[in-house]
Amino acid sequence: MRINGAWHLCDDDRVRPVVTGEIAAADGNRQQVTFLLDIGADRTVLSADILRSSGLAFTASPDRLGGVGGTVDAVTVDTQIVFLREDGGTAVFKGRFAAFTDPKALDMSVLGRDITNLFAVIVDRPQDIVCMLGQRHRYVIQER
Amino acid sequence: MNDPIHTLVMEEITDPVELAKFRARREKFDGNWAWFEQHAPEIYRQHRGKCICVSGGELFVADTPEDVITLAKTAHPDDEGRFTRYIPVERVARIYAH
Repeated sequence: MRINGAWHLCDDDRVRPVVTGEIAAADGNRQQVTFLLDIGADRTVLSADILRSSGLAFTASPDRLGGVGGTVDAVTVDTQIVFLREDGGTAVFKGRFAAFTDPKALDMSVLGRDITNLFAVIVDRPQDIVCMLGQRHRYVIQER
Repeated sequence: MNDPIHTLVMEEITDPVELAKFRARREKFDGNWAWFEQHAPEIYRQHRGKCICVSGGELFVADTPEDVITLAKTAHPDDEGRFTRYIPVERVARIYAH
């Protein structure tokens, strides 16, 4: 399985690795979500703009989420995240995800290690590659 | 080893009709995303602190996620390739790690 991402120019002129999926919104429609591919993040977190524009019901979370700026209250949502595989198929992750309610808390949803631990993650800026490999796909490191 | 925070179930869409709908949404997203990437520097510069949505190759801007998605859905009700973003007020380097 190979899920491709891309390098994306962000608002601070930095280029970051992202991968796009979709979630099921409250009205039955789907919502496109671009995730920062963050191998340092313990959990996948939906940003507030995604949570609030999707209308998904949420519950208070007993867990707070911590970062460099300290800890922040979060909520949890039950939803599914669907990614497009390179072969045209899909990878669907169903479960409970954290989310923020304040847009200022996080500008972009984060794909964390609850999902990325299932893959080999390649974020290769010199070669312009962002992808997640699993199942039958492997990578090889070799000296040129 | 995965952290035992919560359990995720991994599946795939096998229904060909649903799969076709998914791919169609993704194609629309790709079009909206390409438009966004072409205009991103200008959008970042003009709309700090705002919520944006790109739908139908058009930019919508509002103060809240609810308002911006309403604007976009009203203009392009059939575009499920739309996406939203919050543009941070400050232009600073970030460390995420949640």
